[in-house]
Amino acid sequence: MTIGEWAGRLRYRYVPDHVVGEVLGRRWTDNVIPVTLLVALTLYLAAAIPNFISVGNINDTARQIGEFGLIVIGMTIVMLAGGIDLSVGSNFALANVTALALINVAKWPVEAAIAATLGVGALVGLINGFLIGFLRLRAFLTTLVVLTLIRAFVDLLLEAYSVRIASSDVESPLWDFVGAGSVLGAPFSFVLLIVTAIVAHFVLTRLRIGWRLMAVGGSRRAAYNAGISVPRTVCLTYVVSGVLSALAGTLYAARLSGAGPDTGIGLELTAVTAALIGGNSVGGGRGSVGKALMGAIIVSLLLNGLVRLGLPNGASSMVVGAVLLIAIAIDVRWIRWRHSLRAKVYVSPAYLALPAAPLFVSDPSSPYAMNDRLRDVEVIGLGEVDGPEDVILDLDDNVYCSLRQGEIVRFLAPDYTKREVYAHVGGRPLGMAFDRDGSLVVCIAGMGLYRVNNLRKVEKMTAETNRSRLSIIDDSRMRLADDLDIAPDGKVYFSEATIRYGFEEWVVDALEGRGNGRIIRYDPATGVTRTIIRNLLFANGVCMAHDNKSLLFAETWGCRISRYWLEGPKEGTAEVLIADLPGYPDNINRGSRGTYWLGLAGTRTPSYDMAMTMPAFRRRMARRVAADEWLFPNVNVGCVVHFDENGGVLESLWDLGGENHPAITSMREHRGFLYLGGVTNNRIGRIRLAGADPDWTGQSSYWGNRR
Amino acid sequence: MKSSKIALAVATVLSLSGIAAHAVAQGIDDPRRADYFKTFEGKTIAFVPVTMGIDLTEGWASVMKKQADRLGMKFEIRDPQFSADRGAEAITALIAEKPDVIVVHNPDVQSYAKLLKRAEEAGIHVVQINMRSNYNSDVYVGADWIGIGEAEAQAVVDKCGAGTSGKVAILQGQPTSGSDSGMMKGADNVLSKHPEIKVVANQAGEWDATKAHSVISTVIQQNPDLCGVIGFWDVMDLGAAAAIKESGKPIVLVTSGGGEQMACDNVEKGVFEKEIAYQVMDQGRDLNDMIVTVLESGQQAGKLKAVVYSPQLVISKETLRPGLCWSAKDLKK
Amino acid sequence: MLRRLTGAALTQEKIVLLIAIALFCAFSFFLKGFLRPDNILTLLRSVSTLGILGVGMAVVVIGRGIDLTIVTIYAMSAAWMFHLANGGASIPLALTLGYLFALAVGVTNGVLIAYLEIPALFATLGMAAFAYGFARYALVPLYVVYMPASAASIVWIGGGFVFGVPTSILFFALVAFLGFAFLRFTKQGRFIYAIGDNFAAARISGAPVRPIVVLQYAVSATVAYLAGLITATAVASMNTAVVNSSMIYDIILVVVLGGVGLSGGRGGIRNVIVGTLLIGILLNGMTIMNIQYTLQNVIRGLILLIAIVIDSVVNPRDEQTAQQGDI
Repeated sequence: MTIGEWAGRLRYRYVPDHVVGEVLGRRWTDNVIPVTLLVALTLYLAAAIPNFISVGNINDTARQIGEFGLIVIGMTIVMLAGGIDLSVGSNFALANVTALALINVAKWPVEAAIAATLGVGALVGLINGFLIGFLRLRAFLTTLVVLTLIRAFVDLLLEAYSVRIASSDVESPLWDFVGAGSVLGAPFSFVLLIVTAIVAHFVLTRLRIGWRLMAVGGSRRAAYNAGISVPRTVCLTYVVSGVLSALAGTLYAARLSGAGPDTGIGLELTAVTAALIGGNSVGGGRGSVGKALMGAIIVSLLLNGLVRLGLPNGASSMVVGAVLLIAIAIDVRWIRWRHSLRAKVYVSPAYLALPAAPLFVSDPSSPYAMNDRLRDVEVIGLGEVDGPEDVILDLDDNVYCSLRQGEIVRFLAPDYTKREVYAHVGGRPLGMAFDRDGSLVVCIAGMGLYRVNNLRKVEKMTAETNRSRLSIIDDSRMRLADDLDIAPDGKVYFSEATIRYGFEEWVVDALEGRGNGRIIRYDPATGVTRTIIRNLLFANGVCMAHDNKSLLFAETWGCRISRYWLEGPKEGTAEVLIADLPGYPDNINRGSRGTYWLGLAGTRTPSYDMAMTMPAFRRRMARRVAADEWLFPNVNVGCVVHFDENGGVLESLWDLGGENHPAITSMREHRGFLYLGGVTNNRIGRIRLAGADPDWTGQSSYWGNRR
Repeated sequence: MKSSKIALAVATVLSLSGIAAHAVAQGIDDPRRADYFKTFEGKTIAFVPVTMGIDLTEGWASVMKKQADRLGMKFEIRDPQFSADRGAEAITALIAEKPDVIVVHNPDVQSYAKLLKRAEEAGIHVVQINMRSNYNSDVYVGADWIGIGEAEAQAVVDKCGAGTSGKVAILQGQPTSGSDSGMMKGADNVLSKHPEIKVVANQAGEWDATKAHSVISTVIQQNPDLCGVIGFWDVMDLGAAAAIKESGKPIVLVTSGGGEQMACDNVEKGVFEKEIAYQVMDQGRDLNDMIVTVLESGQQAGKLKAVVYSPQLVISKETLRPGLCWSAKDLKK
Repeated sequence: MLRRLTGAALTQEKIVLLIAIALFCAFSFFLKGFLRPDNILTLLRSVSTLGILGVGMAVVVIGRGIDLTIVTIYAMSAAWMFHLANGGASIPLALTLGYLFALAVGVTNGVLIAYLEIPALFATLGMAAFAYGFARYALVPLYVVYMPASAASIVWIGGGFVFGVPTSILFFALVAFLGFAFLRFTKQGRFIYAIGDNFAAARISGAPVRPIVVLQYAVSATVAYLAGLITATAVASMNTAVVNSSMIYDIILVVVLGGVGLSGGRGGIRNVIVGTLLIGILLNGMTIMNIQYTLQNVIRGLILLIAIVIDSVVNPRDEQTAQQGDI
């Protein structure tokens, strides 16, 4: 091995390229721009302005952020549901003048005045909401008209009350607390903002109404068709926005007690700017309260900092405009760039050197030597089944198979001409096993582990396991549950082929050659699901050893079978049983007389083996060549391998002519016959085995001879 | 360089005035001189106007800046650009920064009142200019608004007496501002004695010429026989003047303002009948004196409570002469 | 006739037109002096600037954009022009430089939207703040700029009369006609409709979508500059504080009220005229009725609200066909 090869191998073993694509796939990366902006801005202001980071100044800034943040949260909630609320600025001013008029002029008690002010804000929101939600007016135009209407109304109120407001002052400890008080050292308005943000976040992400709101924003039509009351949901967002604006206006009134005509002018645009800079999108679909908060803080800091920098005329406006433009431009670019970049770098091939394959073509003495023993299989259900990945038989000799349409179909004994849908499970059912009660447990790609009970009712067993601590993609959901087996104590051991790809993308996982698969254990007694082995090269067949003390599993791209000890001195460890298979192993099942059957979905080729040691080559291929031109692993011709407890290969069965059963993914021995399934076949095969125990069945091997 | 020259000049003047009799040749050192300059060295003056970019604030700022430069003080402007909210933010921030003096131009009597109190409690001297707030700080320098209001009303009363409709419109700036409340009071004082004058409109133009234009053209349409308009600020009243010009009617427009060249030009053209002016340059000097006073007094902030009213200057065709008005253009030079 | 008016063909434009006609008739009947020629001229004059800016905005909105810089350009370009002339520049030079400023802002808008693909709302929102700030910082240091004496030669733009008709009304008529002709008869005008209707389809069909988008904003900037000159010469000054007023909303309102859809591709100059007339009739009638300025705004807001509510009731939006993101 040259030093270059050695370095390349190290590089591909230890540099986690795949992380880049995974990081880019996460939605939180959308926050990179606003967070960077926030950090940069804070650092700059802290450097440029003496004591910007002093307690007093942070408190003052936080108090202003408190008011503004409430409005931005309201705006964001409206935007999340696909609308926009331009009336917030006027509503804010209305609340300001209402609160002051009630307290200073009408001498209402502070509590009642605040309640009334919030009521007025809610009313304005309700008007917006009624018009936009129920009468289906356009949000932009409607809130624009409401903005001018409320503004005119505010002017009218100012004309009537402003002088009287200005000439009287009210001594109220509560009112002073609202305007200038602190809770645990933090300004009251900021505390209020944080509480509001937490509540809003909880409602949006955890409660039904929040989900409905997100659904309406994501796709109004789909939400409508799903039976969500779109008008009510939309209306509600405007009421929330109205109340929050009024709350902000009340805080402002308490802080300054000034009723001027410029109050809240242009606030709607500042609020929209903040919501946008935070990363929320107009028209719904993307956004969160956290983003709103971040945007509010950025814009507040920026405006506050610019006033404090004492810039000359117009410079601050110029900076605000430039920041908005740059932030949005980068954001727009980033969203696009992220997706295209992710598409480019998500596939990250690894270095994989397989041991030399046995000479199964040229060496006739090899147990793998090719033969024609499968030429004469009987064919069951020709053309009636689409991709029976796994087959299994019950004690009544009926054959069950899992099909591409999401169905489990059975052919009734004895002649297997009558076909019936045993259960519709959905997804892509793959491996199957009967449990002690005779329920059929199925691994379903895209769904998880399911069970079809005796009454043919489909039940979910598990679809989630523990999340790996350092995994970037969320690996708690199961994407590609593949095959399973059941221990005598009822625990289900099943494989998930890969956590990075879905079932249809299996070939990309092959190209990657990285240990993306795992073995998971589900305990029906406790309902606990745990991942027990990670980083397997496309974990596939799973089979309990005959003595139930260990578990055999196959790694398809690793071309090997391993044993995982469930008890005994090596408990919890795995060891390789067969390291150098000539092909890609799929399901493993028990055979009679203490043997095992293994399906090889395809055979290794020297070219593909070599390609697996050249990750850079495969990366280039994945990026530059169309997917149907890729170098594929051979999955056209495979065989059935018979091996014993020690991994010694006894025989193999091939269909050299390729007439009836060249591709095999599973096989079951049953009363002297071997039943064959293939993930791309349109038939089930059956062949009589010479030398097998004619009474042996898988059912009795696991659960004894009982019905 | 420049300040040292001025200092030299000051020293010269001092030496000439008192002690010159004995010591013409060698001169005598003034013991208080060094202390005087030391008092101001490194002090900070912050100015929070309603907005920069108008004649008044630019005028005051330039006068204050000159003195600050001369005495080695730092002079900062925080420009809220017509936003009371941003102004409040600026003052809040200043309280944290602790300059020695804040000069405040209030947008209305209430918005900053609490903050100014806080500032003085924090030991910052607060000087209010022209537009006061409800809180009486160390110093108020500004126009005598009630007097101006009276003079304006009187000028309109003179023109709209017998033989006219007697209909008058009042165009306020911002009724809650310190200036308008005073001018309104002054106008009331005069108009209440003249029952023949009917006030047909009393509206706010919010310091905006465009809005003033809309308000006054509406009033003229509603009252085609309008006789006079009492405007509260010349810059805004240009909008009213345009509305009057468009109507083609001989309506008397009396205004008040900072006596900038624009006012003289417009009085000359007959756009304004009269402007009751407060002289911005003089106000700037008053400001400077009071800044020096509060700093020199060494007193705690909030103790002084001084008021300096600026004298009125009437600009009319009769009083008009070159040099009567100051020019904002010259400030830059 | 009645059936045609009340049937499915009752569009927002027709509703607004009907309301305008109804108000006009009512005012003519009940208000003394409303129908007098000089009052009609006053009415038109009071909304002509709004109408001109509306035409500029309409060109952009039809192309599924929005131009929030229009008031900034309107105020700052005219103010800079005055400021230059005040500083001694000759009037033609000042006029040219003022126009170049307007055009620069417009073209920048277009480039940001067409080439950087920033949504129009935010591109122009950011540009409005940036252009205003830049102009205040570097070009026009004062809030209010007065007309210089040397500008007497261009006073006619906003303050002149032709056969007793104020020039501002004539300019409105001219701009409206040019806008109509541009949108209806030129290739670029038709492309604007195509882009507004379906951007992707227009692009695939081979329309030069990006240059056309830039053109739209250049057109609206030009119109804004003209409107700025008209206002500035009419009141002999330009108050740049108008940038921070609610004027931009009034402009959007006359455009959208008349039936130009914010989702693009719908409507034309006729709609702008209808919207402008409704506002003009309302304001003028209320003024004659001696309603106070502030209260006028409230009533105007209410009537606008009623107009869009009627439209929504007559032409309800269907959840099934509503466009996602069409706010």
